[in-house]
Order: sequence, then structure tokens, then C-alpha cells
Amino acid sequence: MEAIWQYVLAGVVDGAIFALVAAGFVLIYQVTGIINFAQGEFVMIGGMTAASLATAGMPVLAAAGIAVVVAAAAGALAYLVAIRPARKATGVTLIFITLGLDVAIRGLGLFVWGTNPYSLPAFSAGNAIAIFGGVLPPQAAWVLGTDAIVFGALYLFFRHTFVGMAVRAAVANPPIASAFGIPLRRFAFLSFVAAAAIGGLGGVVITPIPGAQYDMGLTYGLAGFVAAVLGGLDSLPGALLGGFVLGILEHLAGGLLSPGWEQGIAFLLLVLVLVVRPQGLLGRAVRRA
Amino acid sequence: MTAAAAADAAATVLRVEAVTMRFGGVVALDDVSFSARTGEVLGVMGPNGAGKTTLFNVICGLQRPTAGSVALGDRRLTGLPFDRVAALGVTRTFQTPVMFWGLTVRESVEVALNARAFGDTYPPSPQRELVACGLGTRGRRRAERALRERAAELLAQTGIGTLADRPTESLAFGEERLLELARALAVAPTVLLLDEPLSGLNPDEIDGVLRSIRAARADGIAVLLVEHAVGELLSVADRVVVLDHGRRIAEGTAAEVTVDPIVIDAYIGDELG
Repeated sequence: MEAIWQYVLAGVVDGAIFALVAAGFVLIYQVTGIINFAQGEFVMIGGMTAASLATAGMPVLAAAGIAVVVAAAAGALAYLVAIRPARKATGVTLIFITLGLDVAIRGLGLFVWGTNPYSLPAFSAGNAIAIFGGVLPPQAAWVLGTDAIVFGALYLFFRHTFVGMAVRAAVANPPIASAFGIPLRRFAFLSFVAAAAIGGLGGVVITPIPGAQYDMGLTYGLAGFVAAVLGGLDSLPGALLGGFVLGILEHLAGGLLSPGWEQGIAFLLLVLVLVVRPQGLLGRAVRRA
Repeated sequence: MTAAAAADAAATVLRVEAVTMRFGGVVALDDVSFSARTGEVLGVMGPNGAGKTTLFNVICGLQRPTAGSVALGDRRLTGLPFDRVAALGVTRTFQTPVMFWGLTVRESVEVALNARAFGDTYPPSPQRELVACGLGTRGRRRAERALRERAAELLAQTGIGTLADRPTESLAFGEERLLELARALAVAPTVLLLDEPLSGLNPDEIDGVLRSIRAARADGIAVLLVEHAVGELLSVADRVVVLDHGRRIAEGTAAEVTVDPIVIDAYIGDELG
């Protein structure tokens, strides 16, 4: 029983990062209709940049800040170089473009950082956090705090800012929205930048726990995608819920069945959702116009 | 040029010149010319298939005419896409209202008001807005209140003030129509194209639309009105253009066109045919 509780706690921490990656998937999908399979690589860019800068002697929080900016810039670049020139392309073509982008960014990561794992000190010193007999590393507080801030800011943005309202109109009906002066292309650009920054931030805050390696984006990208589909690709609360559900299930399966199941459960869940409830947990079954 | 003709030319805001639209062998519009002035309601009448909706599509940039041109003041609109034409001040509503699902009634109007209010600085910076919203600064609250009040005025004018907080998905057809009208008025257009704004509405809703049309006229908007309800159209239109089989067969005041034998013939001929 104690073991199960410990798996759940570990799953919550990983799930928090999956939720951030899933939020990136949802943002880009909502605004552009594109499923950006390169989403996990922004986690890698964030984690690797922060870890390598800190290893080179930079204070941890400064390295973290720069890493998020680098990830956001990578998102901007990815949009301008790979997505924007192909904006007239159809869905399948765009999926292949983002898959190619994923491979390209990972290759670039290998080129820049090599195959060695990097580590990053925890953001704050302190003892392990005990919760009802389970324990979490102190960094877990940063991870969960990041989720609270990011999702809180997203809620504020979409529900209370004028820009957020305009983005929702653009999502509802792009051609009519553009007739009301809403700049669709600018929003597409911003969705990539925001998704990359959020993913990068996820990579930065999680790296002190498992470390960082050039190919870490693959795992987070897949998990984020499954979490997003699980929650319903068009729902940010769904992304949050999907992330935690997947994180907890992964750790339970890995711990109770065998470590091999940790990855397998994501695929299993993906198939299950697509068969049983294609609109996801919190998504709307209504199709886009 | 006489003084009267000069004043007339100055008031002319939209000019449709020799517009022809062919779809294969079908001629939907055949050499149609007319103009609309600021602060007038110009009715566009004609039997089914006369080319009224095609005419609107050509004016607002959804369809490119085979020949001829449309101009807003000195600015040629022909060839510009829908969103550019809208940015220059030509707004339209559709026979089937188009909603922003996911927004409330109030938000739908606020989005349109914002596009107008911010002008070239639209949209505002997301970061700065997030900070202002998060802190709830006084300037921010004032901006939100002003926006809300203006939206409430427009909704009250069209007669859906009580629906402000309803999600647009929950609206009935007539309510959607009224919201689309309020949203179009929110951008304070130079020219407003209304495509059958009364169809499917109950008498109260019709009053809301007619009230809004008169208010738009008082604000100096040129309102082009396609409407099958001839009685209502003639009651609100200052002038009427009549189309039949894609040709302009008459133009004049309501009193003039209703006694025009060519117009009567077109309508009765259509009913018999």
C-alpha cells in the first residue's frame, strides 16, 4: 500500500510535466489545427540548456531563465522556418513536417550536447517532502508550483484578456475572425512561441530530478501527446487532467507490473481513448467548422 | 456640376460599376451599376435568383466579378480579399448567421468592439495584458467597464440585452441573427450589408432589427439591405434598387419603384413562372 502511494506521488510529479507538454499540443492545435509532434523537443532544449549552462558555472536560476528564453526562440524559429512556409499545406503534410522537425531538433541536440547525460542542481536546498508516508524530492514543489502558475496564467489569458478573447474567436471561426481584424498568422506564431516556452519551462523544472539527455524529448513528446488526446485535444483543463492521469498510471504500471510497462501504458491508453471516447475526457465532441 | 449634384457625389460612399458575374453559362449579374450614400438605407429587391446575394458577395470580396468594379470612396475594392475589404469598413451579415462558438453573447460583441477600438495597435501585447489583468489595475478595470457598457448598449439596441451572458451555442436562430447584427454594428462600419436580416424572426425581433438599421443610418452608415419581406424593406429603405435575372431593372424611392410597371411585371412574372 505504501509502495502504491509512492508511485502515485512520483506519477504526479511526472504528470505535471506531461500536462505542460500537453498544454503546448492543445494551444497549437486549437489555434492552427496542427498537431506539433516536435513538442517534446522543447522540453529537451529547456532541460539541456539549463543543465549545460549550470554545469558551466552559471547560477541555477539564471540558467533556468535563459533556457526558457532559448526554448521560446526555438519555437519561434521552428514556426518561421518549417510551418509558415507550408501554411497552405494539408493536415497530413503538416504532420510529416512536425515529425521531421522533431527528428531535426533531436539531431541538433545530439550535435550540440553529445550523448552524455547532464544534471542540474535542485532550485532550492531542503529536505525531502513527506506526504502521508510517501516522499518527494524538494524540487517537486517547484514542478507543481510551475503547473499552478502556467495553468493559472493560461486561464487568466483566455478568460480575461482582450487578446485571449480574440484568440478564442479565431479558434471558433478563422475566416470570420479575420474579417473582425483578428490577426490569425500572428496568433499562429504566438501559439508556437508560447507552447515552446511552456515545454521548455517543463524541461527546466524537471531536470534536477531525472537529469537531461539529448533524446529526452521523445518520451515527453509522446507522453504529452497522449495526455492531450486523453484530455480532449481542444481542452486546457483536459490537458492538465490528462497529464496527471497518465503520469500516475505510468508509475503504477511500471512499479506494479514491470518497468517495461511504463512506456507501454501510454500507447495502451491512446488506443483505448481513441476507441472508447475519441473526444477525450473533457473535450467537446463538436467538430470544428 | 450643379450644387445638388456635387453634394450628392460627396455623399456617395460605395460605387458599384458595371459589375458582371458569370458562372459558366449562367449570368448571375449583368452589367449592374449603382451607388450608395452615407446615412441612407438602400434596399436591394428582386425575385429569387435575381443575383442579390451574389451582388453582396462581390461587394465584400468573397467573389471576384467577371467584369466591372466596386469602389469604397476612392479605394478600389475589387480583387481584395474579404478580410481586407472588412478592414476598410465594409461589414456584412449572412443569411445563416455565423457565430463565434465558445464565446458568450457579450464577448462576441466585445471582440468586434476591440478590433475597432485598438485600430493599428490590435491586438494588445499578451504579456502586458496578463500583468494588468493579474494585478487588476485601475486602468484595466476602467477599460473593461467601458467595453462592457458599449457592448450592453449595442445588445440593448438590437433587443438581446438580457442574453449578454449566454454562450452563443445556446442561442435560438433569431437571437443569433440579432447578435450577428450587433456584432457588425460594433465595428462601426462605413458600409453595412444585411442579407435577409428579418427572415425567421418574430415581430419583436423584427422591431429590434429595424430599430438598429435606423440607428445605423443616423450614425451615417450606408446600409444595403436585401430582404424578401418587401413591406418591411420599403418601410425602412430610402431608395431601392431592383434586380431581375442579374440586371438592374429599376432604381428609385419606394413610392417610385412600387408603381413601376417593369418591377410589377418582374415580380408577377416570377410568381406565374
